[in-house]
Amino acid sequence: MSDICEETLGVGLLCEGQHDPGTPPAGLRRAPSGVDGLTTEHLIINMGPQHPSTHGVLRMIVEVDGEEIVAAEVSVGYLHRGIEKLAEHRRYDAVGTLMDRGDYVSGMMGELAFALAAEQLMDVEVPRKAHWLRSLASELNRLASHLVWYGTFGLDTGAMGQFLYAMREREALLDILEALSGQRMMFNYIRPGGVVADMPLGVTEKIRAFLSTFDMYLDEYDQLLGGNEIFQGRVKGIGTIDRQMALAFGLTGANLRAAGVDFDIRKARPYAAYPELDFEVPLGSTGDAWDRYNVRMAEMRQSARMIAQLIDGMPEGEHTAKVPRIIRPNAGEVYASVESSRGETGIHLISDGTEHPYRMHYRGPSLYAAQALEEILPGHLIADVVMIIGSTDIMLGELDR
Amino acid sequence: MRPAIADIERTLAAISGVSVAEEALGTVARVELAFVPDALSALKAAGYESLVDFDGTDTGEFVELTYRLRSYALDLELFVKSTVAYGGTIESVWFDYPSALMPERETAELLGIHLAGHPNPKRLLTTDGVEPLLRRDVLIRTVEEVKAR
Amino acid sequence: MAIDKFTGENSIAFIKSEQLFDFARRNSLWYIAFGIACCAIEGLMSASGPRFDFDRMGVFFRNSPRQADVMIVAGTVNKKMAETVKRLYDQMPEPKWVVAMGACASTGGPFREYPNVVLGVDKIIPVDVYIPGCPPRPESVQYAFIELQKKIAKRTEERLAARNS
Repeated sequence: MSDICEETLGVGLLCEGQHDPGTPPAGLRRAPSGVDGLTTEHLIINMGPQHPSTHGVLRMIVEVDGEEIVAAEVSVGYLHRGIEKLAEHRRYDAVGTLMDRGDYVSGMMGELAFALAAEQLMDVEVPRKAHWLRSLASELNRLASHLVWYGTFGLDTGAMGQFLYAMREREALLDILEALSGQRMMFNYIRPGGVVADMPLGVTEKIRAFLSTFDMYLDEYDQLLGGNEIFQGRVKGIGTIDRQMALAFGLTGANLRAAGVDFDIRKARPYAAYPELDFEVPLGSTGDAWDRYNVRMAEMRQSARMIAQLIDGMPEGEHTAKVPRIIRPNAGEVYASVESSRGETGIHLISDGTEHPYRMHYRGPSLYAAQALEEILPGHLIADVVMIIGSTDIMLGELDR
Repeated sequence: MRPAIADIERTLAAISGVSVAEEALGTVARVELAFVPDALSALKAAGYESLVDFDGTDTGEFVELTYRLRSYALDLELFVKSTVAYGGTIESVWFDYPSALMPERETAELLGIHLAGHPNPKRLLTTDGVEPLLRRDVLIRTVEEVKAR
Repeated sequence: MAIDKFTGENSIAFIKSEQLFDFARRNSLWYIAFGIACCAIEGLMSASGPRFDFDRMGVFFRNSPRQADVMIVAGTVNKKMAETVKRLYDQMPEPKWVVAMGACASTGGPFREYPNVVLGVDKIIPVDVYIPGCPPRPESVQYAFIELQKKIAKRTEERLAARNS
């Protein structure tokens, strides 16, 4: 096997055993099987890495007894491309390009996390307007990211219409982000010291035009998917992550708040312009997929509220502090985290005073959500797997990094 | 929010060789490798219910491990640091903190250390035979290598 | 061979069977829904969204490689992924085409220096169209499909010319 791989692929691969499904290891949680007196032969099902509902290149190895899942193993690494290693060889203003490609649906938040970490070492005073622009960019991007989640979560249940509506709204948001930063997805907009450019003319009007209809549309979309009885029947009561399990598995973001834990970095460790904004943190109660759906929908409403405040109160002034062309921060070790659309994106940055970071660790919230799947999937039906993966909103780019 | 040094010292009083200090990173407790599981158990009992982050750094002489703990009830955050030699073995803390399962596997394969007491100590991100990529002595491709692709 | 359905003019077209098959092939390029990384959001999701709407070109996604004609390699291929890409390509029925979307699939892109990343998907499978950009805009992907259609038509012409000569 391994010989064939190396010959045909010619890139020096080691393919041996890669596609052997194997049984999930004994240490993982196993659901009791045959409780109703009916036991069938256990079957190992391999799902992914190419699967339309795994939201990227996630691979699941699922052991099933009939239709019921006995054990599940999450296999990742199909998108491991060394963001942490390459950051050690990039200059401080260029690490943002890598962070964009980490969580590629909400790149602004990754950039912001790195910029906040670098600024702690740089003794630089970030102007007030930069803070506001950063929050504005983050919230616009959070909306775009949650819309992708909303569209694809519906696709997982078998619905199609909501995907087209979500994509329509997202295109309007990407137009705004493009006007703001110059790119549709990989912005590299937030850099240490501020943001790369001031708000161009006409963006405020564009955002106002978007907001004037968005709330109304969002209610309609919520009704379209969440008001559907079939959707509710499929989503309610599955994939329950209670408070204790959420804390044990290190979940953050909407997954944690759906379990009723009131923790949002924007409130608990305020950064950028969030201390000055008026918003609520939506909470769930039981922590099932339906709660996670509702928390994310409510978060979108809060984001729209924040964007309105941000464009109304946008201060005057410089958009960036004076930063040397080659940034050489002080030596030291810091940690900065932001509330990205998937949870807490953290950057553990170690600098040795040179122009490259000595070590950058990128905490992706999806990694923690994905390993919780091994715990919550056993006991569910096989049809619920894609629903539970969809409800946790994992992003493989920041999982594998 | 940072916990008081005295509180952490009191919690970890039973463990020898602990030094707690206030750094730019936050409140950092440095623990010897052999006592890390005990220290984390004691901290969990003291209310640090969630391991939010775990990573390793190659310092050039050894690998430095950083555990980031958080207590939601007390709204406190604490860093626990320890060191392990290259090729050394770390004891898994998954029984106290299941969130360490995957980060431990990742750190072990990318920094070339071994895991003990882990339920699934396989490689996480790369295939067999890939060298520990986050070590400083493992170099990235040069410009010439990339151009000659 | 334009058929005018209003006047009935040219309502019978005499073409070679190969030309007919290629006419069908190049106007129903179904791609496999196989997004690897960032490019998948632009090249597969936005592309099938309402603004760019690839469906009108006959470009539509299939979830199984057995039903697909085109593979858009949308993202960085690393050594763990390479075998899967190769296997999916082998599972696609002939004739099949590959579009390397973005810098990563073409040469390794921003991650080319990392030893775990394959320097371009053409190390593993043959590529027909390369799209520059990181990520390319959906318009670029649309243009790539137009170029691919031209390429398919040209290949048939060449094959026929070679047989006649």
